[in-house]
This record gives sequence, C-alpha cells and structure tokens, in this order.
Amino acid sequence: MAKYIVSSSPHITSKTTTQKIMLDVIIALIPATIASFLIYGLYPIFIMILSVGCAVTAEWLFNLVTKRQQSVRDLSAIVTGMILALNLPPVVPFYVPMVGSFFAIIIVKMLFGGIGRNFANPAITARIFLVLCWAGVMTRFVNPIDLSNGMNLFSYFENVVNINLPDAITSATPLAGVKEAIEAGGNPAAGLSALDMFLGRIGGSAGEVSTLAILIGALYLLIKRVIDWKIPVIYIGSVVVFTAIFFANSEYVGEYVWTYLLGGGLMFGAFFMATDYATSPKAPLAVCIYGIGLGFLTVIFRKFGSMSEGVSFAILLMNIVTPLLEKITPRIFGMKSKWETNGKKIGEWFKKVFSKKQKSEEKEAQNG
Amino acid sequence: MALKTFRHGVHPSANKFTKDVPLEDFPVPDKVYISLSQHIGAPAKPVVNVGDYVYEGQMVGEAGGFVSAPVFSSVSGMVKSIVKLPTAIGQMVDHIEIENDFKYDKVSLPKLVNPSKEEILQRVKDAGIVGMGGATFPTHVKLAPKDPVDVLIINGAECEPYITCDYRLFLEHANEVVEGTKLLMKALGVDKAYIGIENNKPEAIKVMREAANGGVEIVPLKVKYPQGAEKQIIYAITKRVVPAGGLPAQVGCVVSNTHTAYSVAKAVFDGEPLYKRAMTVSGDGVEKTGNFWVRGGIPFSFIYETLRGEVPECMSNKVINGGPMMGFAQADLRPVTAKGTSSLLFLSHKMFSEFEPTQCINCGRCINHCPMNLVPRDMERAVIKEDFARAEKLGVMNCIECGSCAFICPAKRPLVQAIRLAKKEIRSKGRK
Repeated sequence: MAKYIVSSSPHITSKTTTQKIMLDVIIALIPATIASFLIYGLYPIFIMILSVGCAVTAEWLFNLVTKRQQSVRDLSAIVTGMILALNLPPVVPFYVPMVGSFFAIIIVKMLFGGIGRNFANPAITARIFLVLCWAGVMTRFVNPIDLSNGMNLFSYFENVVNINLPDAITSATPLAGVKEAIEAGGNPAAGLSALDMFLGRIGGSAGEVSTLAILIGALYLLIKRVIDWKIPVIYIGSVVVFTAIFFANSEYVGEYVWTYLLGGGLMFGAFFMATDYATSPKAPLAVCIYGIGLGFLTVIFRKFGSMSEGVSFAILLMNIVTPLLEKITPRIFGMKSKWETNGKKIGEWFKKVFSKKQKSEEKEAQNG
Repeated sequence: MALKTFRHGVHPSANKFTKDVPLEDFPVPDKVYISLSQHIGAPAKPVVNVGDYVYEGQMVGEAGGFVSAPVFSSVSGMVKSIVKLPTAIGQMVDHIEIENDFKYDKVSLPKLVNPSKEEILQRVKDAGIVGMGGATFPTHVKLAPKDPVDVLIINGAECEPYITCDYRLFLEHANEVVEGTKLLMKALGVDKAYIGIENNKPEAIKVMREAANGGVEIVPLKVKYPQGAEKQIIYAITKRVVPAGGLPAQVGCVVSNTHTAYSVAKAVFDGEPLYKRAMTVSGDGVEKTGNFWVRGGIPFSFIYETLRGEVPECMSNKVINGGPMMGFAQADLRPVTAKGTSSLLFLSHKMFSEFEPTQCINCGRCINHCPMNLVPRDMERAVIKEDFARAEKLGVMNCIECGSCAFICPAKRPLVQAIRLAKKEIRSKGRK
C-alpha cells in the first residue's frame, strides 16, 4: 500500500522565503551602491566588498565555532554588510568596515540568537560603535570626485590607511552647515542646492547622499511588498512636522524643513533601517508611535545634539523601545476596543448629564 | 466600485483546473460503507440490522441527539455488517456495510409543494441536511437561532484552491440553488438573502444573477482567501462584525453553503434525503479529474483506482480531503465519501509544499495577513514554551484556523499548527 505524507494543513505555502526577501533588499540597495560609485569613485565599492566579506565570514565563523546550523545562505549577512558600508563616510580606512561588520554580526546579531532576534539594527549599532571608536574618521567627509579637476575613479584609494586627509578634499556635510546656522543664525540652506542634494552631489556617507537612488530602491521594496509604507512615511512626515514646530519662530523654517529632509541619513534610515523586521513593531498603533518617536528624536538630536546628525541614534533608541511597543497587539476581529467601550461610557455619561440638565431646564421653564 | 471583502488574508494560486468539467455520475462499487458520523455532533444510531434489505434513500441511522443528523443508504442491497473505519478526519466510527445489488430501488420522502416554515424545518431535519462546505454542522440547528435574524448569506466563495463543485452547481443547477435559498429564507423568516461568489467566477455570477429572484441577491466578492470563512463573508457582505467568541446570529446573520441550499431544494421538492453530493477530484496523481455526483459510502481507494488511469502510484504523495489550505491529509484510502466530502486531491511532491522551518525573522507577515487580527508569531512562541495560558491570553481561541499565517510565513514556520495544538490543550483543560 502506498505511503502518504500526513501533515496538518495548510498543505501549500507562498513562494516567499527569507532568502528571497533578503535578495530583494540586496537588489534595492544596488541603486544607492551605484550612486556611491558615481559620486565618490571606486573606493566605497572597495569598502563595501570588505564589509560584506567580513560580515559573511563573521557569521560563518560564529556558526562554526558554536556548532550551529550554517545560516549564511539566508543572505542576511550580506544585507547587513551592504547597509553598514553605505552608512560609512566614503573614505574610511580599511579596518573600519571590518571591525564594524564583526561587531554588527557577532555582538548585535549572533549573540542575541541570529536573524530576527537582534535587539537593534546591527548596521546602525555598528555605525554608532564606530563613531565612538574613531570619531575623527567617522565624521570626515569628502567632496564628490571631480573628474575635470585631475581626479580619477581611484582618487580616494590613498586613504586605505591614511587618516589625515588634506583639507582641500574634505567637505562639510549639508547638515553641518545647518548646525552652524542653528548656532550662529542665518540661512541654513546658504550655498546648498536642493537638486545637488537630491542627486547626491554633496558630502556625506557613501550611500546616504543620493536621495534619488534611495527612492528607486525603496520603490522596489514597496512594490515587492518587502517593506510597508507606514514606517517610512510616518517617520519622514513627522520629521517635517517636528522641524516645522521646533523652527517655527525662525524666518528660515522652510529651508530647515527641506535641508533636514534631503540632508543626512534620513531617507536611507527611514526606508532601509527603520523598517528592519526584527526591530520594528507590527501593530498599527505601535507603528505610529514608533514612526513619530523616530521623527521626534531625529529632530531633537539634530537641533540640540552635539552632532549634526541624529538618524542613527533615533533608530537605535526606538529599536530598544520596540519590545515595549510590541506589547500593543492589534485588536482581534470582533473584539471591542478599549477606546470604543470607554468612549461609549463617556458618551453615556454626557447624555445623562445633558438630559439631566435639559430636564432641570425644562422644569425651571415650567416653574417659571 | 471596490469589491466587497474583509481585511487581511492571502492569495494562494487558485488551481481550479476542473472548473470547466461538467458534473457526472460517479460509478458505485460493489460495497458501500455508510458512515454514522457524517456531521458534527452525536453520531447517528443504526436502525438496520445485519441481513436487512435496504433501499436507496432509506434511513439507516437515526439522529443521535439534537445536534446530530440521520444518515441514508446510497444504494439498494443487503446490510452485510457494521464495521469500524477511520473517517476522513481520522476518527474510528461505525460504518454500515451494504452490498450493492445495482438495482437502485429508491424510497423517498413525500414531495412538498409550497411548504410552510415548519414543514421546511422538519424536512431539513428528516433529510439529514448538514452544512456541506466541510464543517457539516446540522442545518436544522442552524435554522433555529437563538437571536433574531434578518439576513441569510449563502456562501459560494469557494476560496479554497482546486475545489470547483459549488461552481458547477451554480452553472448547472442555478434554479435549484436559488429555490433552496428561498426555502432557507422562509425557514428563517428573513426576506433578504445574499449569495456571495468570488469575482474570478464571472460565468457563475452571470448565471446566478439571471436565476435570482424574490429577495435573493448575488454579491461578487474580491478574490482572497479566506473569503468563505463565516465571520469574514458576513463582514464582507453586510459589514457586520461577529463578536469574538460569538455566533453569526448575534449580528442577525445565518451563513449556509451553496450545496446545502441545493440539497434543501432537492429534499423539499423531490423528497430526496441527503446521500449524494457534488465533489471535486483533482491533482496530478490521477489521470481523470473532474466534478462528480458521488453517493455516500464510496471508499477513497475506489475513487483513486477508478480515476488513476496510467498515472503511477508514486505520483500520489499526499491525499487531501478538502482544500489544500484547510483540508485533511489522509494516512490511507480507507475513509469513505460522506456529506462533507467536497473534494479529494491526489498531489505529487511538486504540488504541495515541504519546507523545513527556519528561524522566525520577525517580518510580521503573519500578523499583517491574519483575517482575525491575531498575532500568530507570539502564539507560536508561547506554544513552543508550552505556555498555553499566555497563548490563551493572546486570543488563541479566536483563531479560525484558516492557515493564512503558515501560508505566508517566509520562514515556513508551522504557525497555525501550533495554534491548533494550543486550542486543543486549552479545550481539554477546560473540560477537566
């Protein structure tokens, strides 16, 4: 007699797998990678290869040493490596991405149980770790490569070990300019072109500068339904709102809003890092709180912090709040919400009070 | 206008390969085994003895309680024995073995013309009619709701992949379905009925719209699984939300299945009790697939051998009674056709999914696709820790077991399976 496979339903599953999701994220990061090449030459690509290589090696080694099942085939280590590389200034020395990748994978991800169990976004946490370790090189930015000015695609390769950049090629990021404007007054957008910032012809982290490239990748993720629109939209929207509120008494409030939107890591963070599965809440209300919290903290850090940028700190903090936010669960279909029951109670109370008032008024009218 | 639907849900590929195959009579074997438990509730009590001669349509088991239904012989012939056989859901129950004399001498109930409400209710009970979508809840119980009801919904969504028997009923027996719906309306005392049909069946919608009359309205529904789940179809059509843990009647609705409506019409107008039903046989493990009128008590092995043709036995690796989303995998082919056997699928390895579960990546897809708005991720974690109290607190008992979570999970985790375990555990604790 034939043997049949017996299992509990469902007997079919969707074609989506963890690996396919990670592959989609890798594809979505390609426009930003290409942009970093077009803007800063080959050096950021070299950094990315180092970073990805170390991330995959770290995960492979960890699994080997701890005798766990190999998990590198789910491609998530590649994603972490790419995001970290795109988060770094374009001319960091070679050891920075290596240390960063090891930290991201071993400390933040694997020690907490691997994929899906990291307490915070590994790339963000690694970036903050690197900023604390090497504040100098992590905040030193360069101008885009200018081929007409005697530079070539290999121009920044002399920085593999050299951390003392000649002043001629260092550049301030747009947000550094904004920071100066906050402290000294004046127009935060002075000398900035919105088009340059949109295309990425500015100083900044390798993958964060080109808003256009990020949006192309983000669109791909949204179409493939890898990420949901809610977190990025609420995050970016609340940055706009809180910037407008905090700079309401400045005559340049409009300039603050658009420089904050296009400058720094907001777009990259909103679409690629705040949406990290393991560290973002899922219930609609929790997502709203998460997004608004991100926007609020980002503006607070940017305006009042000692650094000009605040996206990564905001995301790290909200990542840590996420387990708390996950306590908010969606309302079960058919279950009355607390708002509804309490609202009804309040409504009834109002009705009671109002009808009493009406009655007493009527009585008075009658008496009168 | 946007099509009516519910929130969340998934989109499995429809695989309705048999939708253009007309219903035909399925051959009957030498022996049939009439199950005494073809419904939810108390099993029927046998009313025939070994050696008796029974006619087709003769009652062989009477209702064993209020929530129960009588069962009928599907052939004429001699009662050989009463044997214990597994049902399609794996319970061992008594079956009446009848040797088919191939005469099909038939007895039927008196035909009713223009029946009253009470007559319809009595007939539904006498004809042993149960919900034929798969849950097999006795229909006469459903027709006596405790709360006032104003809407009848006929579920023709057929959202499970492969199954096409309701679709064929719409195309070939539209008038009977409409008449049956009107009988159910009369039995309930409602003047509005909606027949919900998924929008990927435009011919059925067209035919049914032509046939509909007297307060029966055809509602096209968005193609989405589980569109045919009771609470979901009520919400889609009426926007009423059945309270958690509550029954449809609490929001003034009764939901019945297309085939049930058809069987009510047959029972009332033709006096034919329920011992025969439309059924889909599909999958790549059999040569001939299609939609058949099958009599009750035909062993699955007979169906397989009749339809297998040249396809080797190794091509049937999983046999599913019902659809691939909620159906039951069969360990062997001993079970027989019954009132709730809507389909039988013979699938080879490539037609069903076999994945090793990997670590949860916390993507939240199970949460964002759950039609009941539950958090399957946390429930599964609670079950793994055997913390059933927590699972219960998370609302595990509200799960309709549609399987959307396990379907959509990229890590292929057995989410609904864990939830089923929790429900079972909590129920058995409740009984103690």
